[in-house]
Amino acid sequence: MTSKNSIAKDIKGSVILVFFALATAFLYNSFSPFGIPLKGQWETGQGVVSANSENDSVNASIEINSPQIILDIVQKKQRIIIDVRPREAYDQGHLPSALSFPLMEFDQGIGQILESINRQTPLLIYCSSFECTDSHTFAQQLIGLKYENVRVFSGGFRQWQEKEYEIEKNET
Amino acid sequence: MKHNYYTTLVLFFIRLVLGITFIYASYHKIADPGTFAKIIYGYGVFPGFSINILAITIPFIELTAGFSLILGLFPRSALLIINALLVGFILVIGFNLLRGHEFDCGCFTFSSHNHRFANVDLLIRDIAMLVAGIYAWQKTKITTRIGFRAS
Repeated sequence: MTSKNSIAKDIKGSVILVFFALATAFLYNSFSPFGIPLKGQWETGQGVVSANSENDSVNASIEINSPQIILDIVQKKQRIIIDVRPREAYDQGHLPSALSFPLMEFDQGIGQILESINRQTPLLIYCSSFECTDSHTFAQQLIGLKYENVRVFSGGFRQWQEKEYEIEKNET
Repeated sequence: MKHNYYTTLVLFFIRLVLGITFIYASYHKIADPGTFAKIIYGYGVFPGFSINILAITIPFIELTAGFSLILGLFPRSALLIINALLVGFILVIGFNLLRGHEFDCGCFTFSSHNHRFANVDLLIRDIAMLVAGIYAWQKTKITTRIGFRAS
């Protein structure tokens, strides 16, 4: 058998295997509870990136994408701002008057949140960037605790920094 | 023949290692395609419209090729797919290492850590698997029967 023929056979076999794999993949995805839609949200200009799966914490409807609006909120103190990044990142720089509630410490910090912030208070949550979903996870936990006015700054601290807006630091 | 005996043994070992590696690598991606999609996004080389589709399909291509290789069903074709996947992984990882772009490969587990050295290790491992895959592809006899035979 010539090598040309054998490669043609290999390719033919590969097409069969790939076709089988693709059919199984799409079938499984459509029935799996962890399935994802064929198109995700991967444009950073449109908010926090995610695969848009049903289990995702990302809820585009609570996002604020405009840094100008965020600047306005910060300057006019229209919302309580919550930074959910790790404490070290917060200490190195954060939005003016933001409070630090790292997502990882949610369970320990929840008592303090419930005590100091009532359910109707407008809140703004942010984490590091468009690629970070911690702000959404935190927001969903607050919404689960019946907080009524929770929004997420989708661009996070990185976009705030890129815009060269005022940054507060905790000197140690 | 002695040569054929050792070659068959080596082929069996390569087939087992590559097959198990690809089946294992597909498992957590199938279980959590949303996280895998985010990892594909993190590579920074794929257009947005393709990311979810890749996250849905790549794990099943890995799984099918892995099982096909172990079961000896279209073994040369399975090796061709595995080699093609490895070439793709090597190009993407190599490109990101060259441009200094940090990423989580998401190969066997989803981790939040990005370690440059881990990614260099990963590149070396993928190159080693590709070399083994090409060797196995060359040495696996074309046969209409199910199974592996050295040429």
